[in-house]
Amino acid sequence: MITNRPLRFITCGSVDDGKSTLIGRLLFDSKALMIDQLDALGRARGAQTRAGELDLSLVTDGLEAEREQGITIDVAYRYFATPNRKFIIADAPGHEQYTRNMVTGASKSDVAVILIDVTKLDFTQSEIELLPQTKRHSAIAGLLGIRHLIVAVNKMDAIAYDQAKFAQVVAAFELIAHNLSLPAFTPIPISALKGDGVVLHTENTAWYAGNSLLAALESITLEPVTSENTGQAAHLAVQYVTRDAVDDHQRWIAGEIADRSLRVGDEVSVFPSGAKALVSAINTPRGATTTAQVGEAVAIALDRQIDVARGDWLIGSSEAAAASRRVVATLAWLDNTPLVAGRRFLVRHGTSWSPARVTRVERQLNLDTARWNDTAEQTEPRVCSNDIVEATIEFANALPVASYEKSVARGAFVLVDPSTHATAAAAMIREMKKQ
Amino acid sequence: MTARDAFLDSVTPTTPTSRASDTHLNWLEDEAVSILREVFGAFERPAILCSCGKDSLVVLHLAIKASAPGKLPLPIVHIDTGHNFPEVIAFREALVARHGLNLIVGHLDDSIRRGTIRLAHPLESRNRHQTITLLETIEANRFDAVVGGARRDEEKARAKERVFSHRDSFGQWQPRAQRPELWNLYNTQIAPNEHFRVFPISNWTELDIWNYIARENIALPSIYYTHRREVIERNGLLVPVTDITPPKDGETVVTRDVRFRTVGDISCTCPVASTASNAHDVVLETIGATNSERGATRMDDRANDAAMERRKKEGYF
Repeated sequence: MITNRPLRFITCGSVDDGKSTLIGRLLFDSKALMIDQLDALGRARGAQTRAGELDLSLVTDGLEAEREQGITIDVAYRYFATPNRKFIIADAPGHEQYTRNMVTGASKSDVAVILIDVTKLDFTQSEIELLPQTKRHSAIAGLLGIRHLIVAVNKMDAIAYDQAKFAQVVAAFELIAHNLSLPAFTPIPISALKGDGVVLHTENTAWYAGNSLLAALESITLEPVTSENTGQAAHLAVQYVTRDAVDDHQRWIAGEIADRSLRVGDEVSVFPSGAKALVSAINTPRGATTTAQVGEAVAIALDRQIDVARGDWLIGSSEAAAASRRVVATLAWLDNTPLVAGRRFLVRHGTSWSPARVTRVERQLNLDTARWNDTAEQTEPRVCSNDIVEATIEFANALPVASYEKSVARGAFVLVDPSTHATAAAAMIREMKKQ
Repeated sequence: MTARDAFLDSVTPTTPTSRASDTHLNWLEDEAVSILREVFGAFERPAILCSCGKDSLVVLHLAIKASAPGKLPLPIVHIDTGHNFPEVIAFREALVARHGLNLIVGHLDDSIRRGTIRLAHPLESRNRHQTITLLETIEANRFDAVVGGARRDEEKARAKERVFSHRDSFGQWQPRAQRPELWNLYNTQIAPNEHFRVFPISNWTELDIWNYIARENIALPSIYYTHRREVIERNGLLVPVTDITPPKDGETVVTRDVRFRTVGDISCTCPVASTASNAHDVVLETIGATNSERGATRMDDRANDAAMERRKKEGYF
């Protein structure tokens, strides 16, 4: 019986790194693949390339154009379960639109599995240099605040499962992790092709005492989304307000609980109106409760009639909400149209939509070196699709924001182009400016 | 208990449920309920597409929870191919009466009468043609969001589908121009005549669905559980004998204990051999299953590896 919430992880790497083979291996070895799907693999063109072995990488090829061109275009989601846990894989393609796809997949992931292909590394020096793409993957995982990193050192079979070389890779990654201030990571030697270290370790890596990749994923403990001790109040972005089917005077305010749990009897204030009330009842999909936990989809009844609508916030505090009109945020630029400073966008924050303007681009991340370059002095910094920058953004109305580090629910927002409706940027707030 | 309730309950196996130890179902339930409330709150004219298949009935169950303790704020839409299992239509009528649902039916026969659908021959499978009737129904009712029960684990092309999937004014899905989906900050901005398809159970697998049906005692049409049926063994599938799918010359009709794993158009949906008489039995069979849901039951998906992708681009659900 599965007693955990599903673990969501993103796999970072390109097809050449053996990423698709790794996912195919996880699905195959955990028996998530069905006979007819394996038959389809057998029918697929070029499937028998490896002397009768199925090419497991073909499992993850989704769209017709992708199969024809041997590339992956878009994030795909895969599912498998062990007796202990259900897993959701966000499989982000490695080449085309890289940042865009990885940011999308990473925004909902608990874990990033960063794949390193040892056959692409030069082991002749004592201090080896990892590929630019590994720095890119690590930088994005860090910016998105992913707390658990697994470094899967792949194709160990091609270097005779050499323990010393594995140690060199780990040392090189430690350097990157230090530069990017990443959380602790778990390095694991694997061969996705041969199966070593994916579900079980084999005698090939007998020198490695840690978990296999699957065991590592199974053993990750997901702490509550945010802790009760950061001093933050409960927040609920109002999705929907409905009248009780029986008592027409009773209204129910629905949304997801963020930052801290909320209890019946708690005082709440509405943002932006500031109106106050007490929580009189809480309904969850499992029925009535006295405490709404972080992450639960709830409907809340209040003890008096106050004006609340979609786009408002319910805040579990009697104090006035701290709101900001200007923030510094990391922007992952996703639109094919480059960013023009000064242009207006629609911002989605919580459940509200309002106008906003990117006033100044402060600095830009060089994804190949994982270092920031100052752009404030440039007259017109060019920010294109897949670039990552830090910028000052001005909202038309003050919003109850927080830093992304403290609260994903209040620290993340999305910029949308008002004319094309394209999603232009994913934004993570780093700093709130005084009015 | 009224006769109607007796009918609905008779197809719901009553089994002991455990609500405490399945955290992952609660997580999936919360996610789906949030997505549905996003639909209720962000769109002017949303609807739920309901074929009375198990996945759409799970979505309807979740939608009722998402609107509780209020009323369900949107209609349900059935695209009726005219090739239905009678058990499913009887079930639909009982369900509508029990919950007081606002049901809108789009009839494929109406599209044929109007001339917007032309069949190659009278007994051609109507599955692919549903798309036209669906798009006509969306246009006639000016729906701006249509909720469906598609799951990403069903099929390759669906693995890349968004939760909020944007459709242009022709109802087309453009896989290369999908909007990136970040956190739960869905980009629901829309231009006139465009619409969204919304998939609240994207992250559920077939096993999750059956575990949830068992836990919540969700009523399903009786053909989801074991029953005796006349079938023909054809290409490894058990093809049901109906007016629309009669035996071909030289084929032998046999009677088998079967159940349906999916319920679609009668001309392209096949049952599997089974003695599962309730949702818990089905859970056990699903754990041991060696063929995928569509591989075991759909004649139309077998034709080509990319069959679903092509239909989806045209606006298929």
